[in-house]
Amino acid sequence: MRLLALGVDHRSAPATVREALAFGDDRLGAGLHALRDAFPGNEFVVLSTCNRVEVYAAGPAGDIPGVDALTAFLADFHGLNPETIAGHLVGYHDEAVVGHLFRVAASLESLVLGEGQILGQVREAYRAAVDRQGAGPVFHTVFQNALRVGKLVREKTGMDQGKLSVASVAVDLAREVFDTFADKTVLVIGAGKMGDLTLQHLKNLSPGRILIVNRNPERAQAAAEKWRGEPVPFDRLNQALIEADLVISTTAAAEPVVNYDQYVRVQRARRNRLALILDIAIPRDFDPRIGDLDQVTLYHVDDLRAQAEQNLSRRRKGVDPALLIIERETAACYAAVRQQQDAGALLRQLGDRADQIRRRELDHLFQNLPQLSDADREAIAHMAARLQNQFLHHPRAAVRSAAAEAAAAPEAPHPILSAVRHLFGLADPPAPSSLKKIT
Amino acid sequence: MDRLQILCFAGTYGLALAVELARLFVRSELRWHLGVGLTFLGWCVQTLYLANIAWSGRTPLPVTSAFESVMVLSWVVALIGLYLMVQWPRKVAVGFFTLPLVLGLILGAAWFVPRAAEGRDWEGATAFWGTVHGIFLLAGAVCASLAFAAGLMYLAQMRRLKSKQTRNFGFSLPSLEQSERVNRGAIVAAFPLLTAGLLIGALLSAVELRKGGGGPHAGVPWYDPKVLSAFGMWLVFAGLLHARFRPSMRGRTVMMLTIAAFAFLVFTWVGVEALRLPTAHGAPRTAGGPP
Repeated sequence: MRLLALGVDHRSAPATVREALAFGDDRLGAGLHALRDAFPGNEFVVLSTCNRVEVYAAGPAGDIPGVDALTAFLADFHGLNPETIAGHLVGYHDEAVVGHLFRVAASLESLVLGEGQILGQVREAYRAAVDRQGAGPVFHTVFQNALRVGKLVREKTGMDQGKLSVASVAVDLAREVFDTFADKTVLVIGAGKMGDLTLQHLKNLSPGRILIVNRNPERAQAAAEKWRGEPVPFDRLNQALIEADLVISTTAAAEPVVNYDQYVRVQRARRNRLALILDIAIPRDFDPRIGDLDQVTLYHVDDLRAQAEQNLSRRRKGVDPALLIIERETAACYAAVRQQQDAGALLRQLGDRADQIRRRELDHLFQNLPQLSDADREAIAHMAARLQNQFLHHPRAAVRSAAAEAAAAPEAPHPILSAVRHLFGLADPPAPSSLKKIT
Repeated sequence: MDRLQILCFAGTYGLALAVELARLFVRSELRWHLGVGLTFLGWCVQTLYLANIAWSGRTPLPVTSAFESVMVLSWVVALIGLYLMVQWPRKVAVGFFTLPLVLGLILGAAWFVPRAAEGRDWEGATAFWGTVHGIFLLAGAVCASLAFAAGLMYLAQMRRLKSKQTRNFGFSLPSLEQSERVNRGAIVAAFPLLTAGLLIGALLSAVELRKGGGGPHAGVPWYDPKVLSAFGMWLVFAGLLHARFRPSMRGRTVMMLTIAAFAFLVFTWVGVEALRLPTAHGAPRTAGGPP
């Protein structure tokens, strides 16, 4: 049994190549069917996301497609020139395939370290392959383990903790201040690009009202239409501040738009309700002393950036422990796959050997007793087959049960498997193939 | 023997607290399950302990002494804490705040509060109203404990937000709004309960004083340290309720006042006995007794 992974990712190929090789939802089924038709007897899973397109293959050593064959297939399927894509494709063999998939599922190979989407994408890719009979026993084990390891790494290292963009840090902050948003009013002052992005994220919290204040009424109107908010004239800023619970300020004003004394009066009029102010403008729109007021949380864009950087550095600290987990789990998973394969091969060997002996003995008997009628011969052959099955029933059951146990603790070969080989005089399994990464 | 029994469930709560503290270093589903399991085990053992006290006493509710009341208070707080631990997302560090409170109440009661009952000799209507007095004060104390825990959570969260630090690994707190809401609701509920409990106690004492006689039926004079501290506590809670509804005092001020009010409540409840001040409340069975 061999494993192969071949594909492109955000490091090896530009977006144009990734797009050209992508298996969209409409083409994924066709792709899996085409792979099975082109390379029968193999298992396939196709992982296709914005940042990576990878084909995972597993099959008997003689049947599994090589890198060249799979490259030719990809080029043919997408109508591309093989030479155009060959330079961008990265491949892994055998145990390295398992390690690579585990790193992908744990988001160590992602463009944004620790992002959560990839685990769902791996799950979807596996599910699509199962639905189309692309995945078999090998990929059941490997992909189910990948999903488990992806979760485990996040759980143990906190790799998914803390957001990495200013806008998503702002959303996290809003959740730390407020519990519900349906009864909250969001006020946007100005119409900067960053403010737009932040509001786009905050919209997911479904705030009750959105007020838009801008010196330019047309711009306020346009933004209000875009975000389904209410435009408010700039001279009514104080009133809007009184009504607002969450403020995003993103003007290009050279001087602070809201000074300390002004906001003290606003906060008094707000009856000192909780307020979150996200001052995304440079220079600042809000006097920094406003953040000292009770019940007011004021974050400048630099604070949000600093938090995002802290989160990133925390995620980076998780990489080494994550790699250790992945290394351990890869070895265990690959050993489990091999144990399963060995058990399967042993069962086949056992059956073949018994068939061989039965057929030889039947031939010998029928040569010595030529007077036997066809009906007699058929009855004797049937009896011999039944005898063979009954004799082998318990050894087969023992091998299956030993294989299941060995998969759970794959460090050493299970003694039952060795004993069956020895007792029935069967050849030893082939030595494990060496690891290699091909590029 | 009694303290050994108390150590059994206090130790289990202590282990649960250690597991809860480990959330700063260990991220694991198992840690959460272990923390909840240990808290539940401690609560079950404490339930058996309180059931035994109730079984051996005359009243179905073991609230006839300061010791028993504090034990029941810690039991209710542990139950509420357990409920919140299970209800809220696993990463919210509820046990961080409720378990030290539970442990503090148990250990404080076990080591500093006299065990003797304060009304076991009462009969008829006096016994009934004495129990009602205890139940109202207990319910008020439960609300005050909740307000205290919510106040601590609010202050910790506000401090983190003001210092602009990212959330600690595996440690998050309820939102400011959530803590504020729990604090507000608990204060609003605590004040009338404490007021009713104190009023019933005062009326009961006045009736006993009018009846005259000595010993346990003598009643408690107004200048008794327990009565004075109870009145002081009521004033602090009245001030807290007032502050709660004054917009200018919302936030940090109210939370600090909540902590002070809770400290006053603990002092009123067990401080007088623990410091062995001369009190006729429950005399002459208090450990120190009148000097």
